[in-house]
Amino acid sequence: MIELEGVTKVFHHKVALDDVTLTILPGQVFGLIGPNGAGKTTLIRLLNQILTPTKGSIRFAGVPLNLKHVRSFGYLPEERGLYREMKVLEHLIFLGQLRGFSKSEAAHSATLWLDKFNAGLWSNHKISALSKGMAQKVQFIGSVLHNPEVLILDEPLSGFDPINVELLLEQIKTFKEEGKTVIFSTHNMNSVDELCDEAALIDKGILVAKDRVSALRSRFKSGAFRVRFRGSKMAFAHALWTWFELLSCTELSEGVYEALIKSRGDYQFNDVFSRLSEDVKLELIEEQIPGMQDVFLKLVSDEN
Amino acid sequence: MKISWLLALREFKERWANRSFRWMLFFGPLLIVGVIYLLLISGNQGASAMRVLIADPVNLLDGKIVSNPTENVTYYFYDDYVEMDAFRESPKFREFDALIEVNEKVLINKKSFLFYRDAPSLALKMKLKFDLERRVEEVLIAQFTSLKEEEFRRIKQPLNIDFRNVDDPYNQFNQEISWVGFSLGYLMMFFIAVFGTNITRSINREKASRISEVLLASVRPYQLMIGKIGGNWLASMLQLCAWIIIVGAGLYLVKEFVIPEFFTPEYLQGIQVRGAEIKDLGYDLAVAENDQVNLVYQRINYGWLIPNFILFFIGTYWVFASFFTALGATSGDTSDGQQFAVPIWLLLGLSIFAGYNSMAFPESGLTQFFTFFPWTAGMVAMIKLAVGVSTTEYLLLLGVWFIQLLTGSLLVVLAGRIFKNGILSYDHRNSFKLLLQWLRKE
Repeated sequence: MIELEGVTKVFHHKVALDDVTLTILPGQVFGLIGPNGAGKTTLIRLLNQILTPTKGSIRFAGVPLNLKHVRSFGYLPEERGLYREMKVLEHLIFLGQLRGFSKSEAAHSATLWLDKFNAGLWSNHKISALSKGMAQKVQFIGSVLHNPEVLILDEPLSGFDPINVELLLEQIKTFKEEGKTVIFSTHNMNSVDELCDEAALIDKGILVAKDRVSALRSRFKSGAFRVRFRGSKMAFAHALWTWFELLSCTELSEGVYEALIKSRGDYQFNDVFSRLSEDVKLELIEEQIPGMQDVFLKLVSDEN
Repeated sequence: MKISWLLALREFKERWANRSFRWMLFFGPLLIVGVIYLLLISGNQGASAMRVLIADPVNLLDGKIVSNPTENVTYYFYDDYVEMDAFRESPKFREFDALIEVNEKVLINKKSFLFYRDAPSLALKMKLKFDLERRVEEVLIAQFTSLKEEEFRRIKQPLNIDFRNVDDPYNQFNQEISWVGFSLGYLMMFFIAVFGTNITRSINREKASRISEVLLASVRPYQLMIGKIGGNWLASMLQLCAWIIIVGAGLYLVKEFVIPEFFTPEYLQGIQVRGAEIKDLGYDLAVAENDQVNLVYQRINYGWLIPNFILFFIGTYWVFASFFTALGATSGDTSDGQQFAVPIWLLLGLSIFAGYNSMAFPESGLTQFFTFFPWTAGMVAMIKLAVGVSTTEYLLLLGVWFIQLLTGSLLVVLAGRIFKNGILSYDHRNSFKLLLQWLRKE
């Protein structure tokens, strides 16, 4: 478990993080979201002890975070770099050894990962000969080959093509299944929807919101429902009565409609069903819960 | 330690992968051997033996020139003038290698000419000059004085004032040997400048390529700095050892196969005898044709100097490398940091000056300061060690070596702090304000 308690980071009188308190539970995939310059990378660097908090404390597994902990983490920084003159396998072995692996362990693990990422053929090529995407893969492998229990990824998806994004997301899902803790910052809200158990939104160094992703999304639901029915449009509109407002209605095929309705009070799914089921034949009712993209926009605009 | 070793090894491999490094590893010392060889043979180029015809129409020399004829020069007298064209072309003179013109004016204007077909070596020139001067002097003594030759030469001896230090009345501080120490110190500074610059560049490159952020999540900044210094030290030691071995082997081969005649007992004795003769006669001529040979092969105590050179190289390299590391940690990119490089180059320059100073004024207060100042101590130590030190002095030098290690260690920790605090400042311009901020900030 990683706990941040009143963490503040100030750079030359500029507050990058202001009194951030949050807890990341083990086995979670934790998303860090926020606009550019919000302080996500600063927080990640604090977790890796590249920066030291101006105020506050960070604890890991109940004790103050130390280099031994950090060495056991996997870290993929936003600003990525490799030694261009080293060969791929040699580079990965070097990174593995820095993280505490023996040479043979590092070589074994690196070979497995390279094969997994379809990069085995590049083992003996120099980094300078790799394409950008391939170099990104090598960087990712470098951060995970020592089998870390905690993985910190700063904008892991940036720079990857869609195929490799999928590959990476699948890998993060696998980590989740294996019970590893994954902390990642991203601007890709779909990936937060898809992967994260919890998410924290930081804006201008302040922790604006932190909750389970489902809770965050529910917090901003608007009471809208998508309804597909068979029957009369008039009967449907009539049945809504004063409880719901009809936002739109489209005929999909003869006698089959899809409507978007919005609750005028605190009416829930069951209310929709009970209100409409007598007048039309319901085929689908779906509550419209906002995605993290909407949550993000809403939270940031509210904050501003 | 394991982490620093890993980092150092990677750094070393990067140096080794550099083709110019590998070239210099082998060709650098060969170049040095070549220069030494040129120095050694510079005094022996040209003809080493001659048949010399002395045209003496007025019989000034009375058919005599040397009391003890030598193998390499044979004199023949001719009692008439010899035209240059005739000497050059006529079969009559073809057998002679050189012509010396002597006439009655020689005694007044002290001027004579030697015309050669092939230029004589420096050694032979000295002998020819010496033989003729001595014979002319004998004629002058006979014509203008009633003194015996020995008496005249005694009177002619100039006053020789030998400047000696009151603390070194027997002149044990040997200037030539001290130059050997200075040369070793200079070599030390050369290696430090080359590999120190590499350290700075390497750190700059890591900052620019952003790999440093990955590294800092695994290692402490000072480990990273030690890795840089260690890797470059390994590279410099490899180069140094290669230089020592190749130069040593080269000098041995030169001695055994290229100029073995320089080392025959007869040759060495000849140098000594002639040198003593010339000196006794009061002529201010260079004593030995090949003092360098004597110095390089006979007088340097390599068994003492080389281990001490390596020892002080470690201390001096450490104290300078930590500075170069701090410079790299400060710089925003590879082209930045020139203003901060100035103090380092000044210190390297000061070190060279300290070397000169301690040779010229070994007991001065300034030399004492340079002995203990960590950045100049290596150079001064090499000179002292080459000349010879007492046990107490040696222990003192070892104390200075420890001061170097401590100073370097402190600087490495500070460099690590600068590096860590400045790591996220990419592409910035160096400034003292930033430097102070990074030194201070936690």
